[in-house]
This record gives sequence, C-alpha cells and structure tokens, in this order.
Amino acid sequence: MILPVWNESQKRSALILFGIASAGAGISIAIGEIGARFSKIWQCLSSFALKNSIPTALLTTLSMIIQCSILIGFISGAVMFMVWWERKVSAHMQNRLGPMFTGGWHGWAQTIADAIKLLLKEDIIPAEAKPWVHRLAPIVAFVPAFLCYAALPFGEGLISADLDIGILYIFAISGLSVLGIVMAGWGSGNKYSLLGGLRSAAQSVSYEIPRVLSVVPILMMVGSLKLTSIANVQTGFWRLAGIPLLPRWFIFYPIVGQIAFLIFLISSVAETNRTPFDIAEAESELVAGFHTEYSGMKFSFFFLAEYAYVFLSSGLTTVLFLGGGSGPVLPSWSWFLLKSFAVVFLFLWFRWTFPRLRVDRLMEFTWKFLLPWSFINILITGFILLF
Amino acid sequence: MLNYFKTIYKVGKSLIQGMLVTWKSFWQPSITVQFPDEKLITPERFRGALTFDKETCTACNLCVKACPTACISLEPAVDPATKKRIAKVSWYQIDFGKCNYCRLCEEACPTKPIKSVRHTHQYEWGMLERKEMFVKWERMSPSTEPSTSGSTNMKPI
Repeated sequence: MILPVWNESQKRSALILFGIASAGAGISIAIGEIGARFSKIWQCLSSFALKNSIPTALLTTLSMIIQCSILIGFISGAVMFMVWWERKVSAHMQNRLGPMFTGGWHGWAQTIADAIKLLLKEDIIPAEAKPWVHRLAPIVAFVPAFLCYAALPFGEGLISADLDIGILYIFAISGLSVLGIVMAGWGSGNKYSLLGGLRSAAQSVSYEIPRVLSVVPILMMVGSLKLTSIANVQTGFWRLAGIPLLPRWFIFYPIVGQIAFLIFLISSVAETNRTPFDIAEAESELVAGFHTEYSGMKFSFFFLAEYAYVFLSSGLTTVLFLGGGSGPVLPSWSWFLLKSFAVVFLFLWFRWTFPRLRVDRLMEFTWKFLLPWSFINILITGFILLF
Repeated sequence: MLNYFKTIYKVGKSLIQGMLVTWKSFWQPSITVQFPDEKLITPERFRGALTFDKETCTACNLCVKACPTACISLEPAVDPATKKRIAKVSWYQIDFGKCNYCRLCEEACPTKPIKSVRHTHQYEWGMLERKEMFVKWERMSPSTEPSTSGSTNMKPI
C-alpha cells in the first residue's frame, strides 16, 4: 500500500477524527447500556401508573408512540449521516474532497441543507400520471422499511418488538417495498419509469430467494428465528488452548459462514438497488428509473427508503454474521452501530468501485450462481450438523 | 467443472483488485483546491491582467503598434511651458474586452529595467459592465485600475 503523504490540514483533520472517535467512545461508555436504562424508566412509569390508577392501555400506547418516534428519529438521522458519508467516501475514492463548505467542518451540515431544500421544492404530478398511485408510491416504498426496524435488535434490550419470527418478519415486510417501486413506475406515466419499475420488480423478487436461503444455515445452527437469540449465540470467543482466537461470529464458521455471508451481502446490495445492481434506476439508461417523475418530498421519501434499507441490511448482516452487539469495553448498542456502519462502508465501497451489471447477466448471476450455491451451503450445513 | 471454479477464482480476484484500487485512492490526499481559501501558484510566465507604469512610459507607441487586437491607445503628454510633446504619457488605456493576453505589448516595450506595460499574475478579475473593461491610467490623476487584492494563501501544486 502506498503510504499517504499528509500535509498540515490533513494531519489536523486526522487529529479531529481521532478526537471525535475517542469522544464518542467515552460518551458511549458513560451512557452505558441504553436498554437497561429504558427498562428502568419503564418500571418507574408503570409503578407510577399503578399508584395513580392510570389505565395501562394508555401507558402502552404512549410507549409505542415514543418507540416509533425514536425509530423515525434514528432512521432520519442515520440516513442524513449516510448520505453525507457516501458523498465524502465517493469523493475521496476519486481523489476529490466532497462537500466542504456547509456547516464549517467538512460540510457536515450539507444533508440538513439538502433536506430543507427538498422539503421546500415544488411537488409536481405529471399530466400523464395516475394521481393516486403516484402519490401513494413513496409511502408504500418507505413504510415497509420503517416497519422492518421494529424487529431489528440495536443492542441488548434495544428492540421494539422481539418477535419469535423476527427474521422471517423482516424478509417478508421488506419484500413489500417492491410494490412501491412498481407503483411509482406505473403511476408516473413515463416509459423510463415503467421500465425501471419492471426491472426492479424482477431483480428484487429474484434476489430475495438467495438472500433468504443464505440465512437458512444460521437458522439451522441456532435453531431459532428470533434475532436476539441469533445474536446471543455469537457472543464469546473460540479458544485455542485457552487463548481467545476468534470471536464466535457466524462469519468465522468454516466455509459455511463465509459462503453465506458473501451470498447475503451480494443479494443485500441487489435488494437495496445499489450500484453494481442498480438497473432499476440506471442513470445512464433510464434517466432515474422509477423516480424520474418525482420531486421534492416524494423523491426524498424514495431516497429515505433506499438508505433506510441500506442500514437495515447492514444491521441484519451485523446481527446474523458479525455477532450483533457483542464486543469488549463499549456498550452493546455502540458495537452494533460500529459494525453496521462498517458494513455500510462496504456498501459504499462496492458502489464506487464496480460498474453496473447488464440485465440478463444480473438475472443469470442470481439464478445460475447464487441460488445453487446457497442450496449447496445448506447441504454442507446439514452434513456438519449431522456429524 | 475445473473451468467453472477457475472462472469463480478469476472473477473474485479481479473484484478484489478493483476494490484495492479504490481503497488506495481513498487514502491518497485529494487534489481538489478549495479555491477562494487556497490558490495554486501560477507559472512563472503566466499572462494575467496587464498593468501599466505611467511614470516610466516614454509614449513611444510601440505597444500600440504591436497589439494585434488594437486594444491599447495612448496620448503623449505635452509640456505646458513649451507646448511640445515630451517623453511622458498623458493617458494610457487598455480595452480588456479586446485584449487577448498575448504578451506582444510587453515584448515591444523598450523601457528598462522594468517594462512599463507588463503582465501580472492577477487572474481573479470580473467585470459587470462593458465600460469597466476600459482601464485608463492618467498621469495627472488617479488611475481607474481596479484595486486588485494580491493572491494570498497560495498552495503549491
């Protein structure tokens, strides 16, 4: 690797980054486990409600509203950060700087300014569009992404709904957002949009299959569909003569883990319609695919949905393959965020490295390569479990 | 069957190679220059805006003749006592709307050691109206040359 030659300002930036990282670590250690704190607050509130004979239904409704607000806040914050981060990463991968002006330090406020701009922009419905389908499509695309977050464990005790069928629920619900994209394609009354929507439907439906099948080995090993128990199985280390060698993450299971991880990662990138597989919105072929005719807030909802799915896929990868919130020193939620954003970086890295696949090759890749290998992976897991 | 695995190996290898390329340039310093805050040093023989020294000029008219776009005009000064032309300039005007920054006027200028009309390294110069492009230097009154701040905080290439 070429050693970078840094000038003064870059050294200063590196120092600032190091400072931010250490400050973040310190703050997260000081905050500790959020889940435990939340449950304490919940206990206080429920005892208070019991004393003053407040109906528990009111309390649970209130807690649901608060949980939803936290999730929405988290999604929008994470998406804003990811958009800024994507612009920075892509810029540095092309030896540029990216946004540098807004907000002072390295353009950190650029996405906030962009979001305000998108809110204020004119909302255009084309004359050829079917108004209701056109209006509903962004909502149908975004709501499943939001619903999926309910079952994503952000750390110990940080899960809105710890479903017994958590992983199945996430796969099932995230499959629904294809509907939003198809609606956008059809409702826009534009040939490019329609083509983009159709391509996206074909792609998402095809890649859903290897994505689900690649998770089956984990489910076979763990024997549960519950995401928290899958994460809990992966705590601790594999020891060789008492020395901790590797964490017990599923990615380090010999052969099976790596194949499953690769298939899951590739089909996750395809599910989120990102660049090596972005035939749905291929800029150079279809203008912007299904969101060609969208502007302002509706467009930003598609954007939000895409990035929400990117983080969801990264979070799922973390929970399934990288041990969830397990890790030393730092609390579990910060480990989860660190690992998830590392996977998000992988997504960005793929996007700014690989060129787009052709439509037929894309289909060939999933049906003739990923699908057989995920079946073989299940077979190997069966043999491992048998002996 | 062997070919199948060979293809997988080749594809995987080239994907990782591609990712290494972006990884390397990710850590290289950016070549972007943040223009208003930092500026590149112009080359030694850079032809920026023309400047004029109204005290050393001998009003010899060589630059006017050398100019291919005829953007320079001048009038020699007249001694008020003898009513004769002297080797000084009364006014000197350059039309920067016509000037093509070719350095021919500077090459023709005979004054030594510093040429009267010469190029500077000044390139940040915007005009809103056409009449601002006529820059006039008058020996007896302050010139109309816009006060251009010197390029500071330059960054080497």
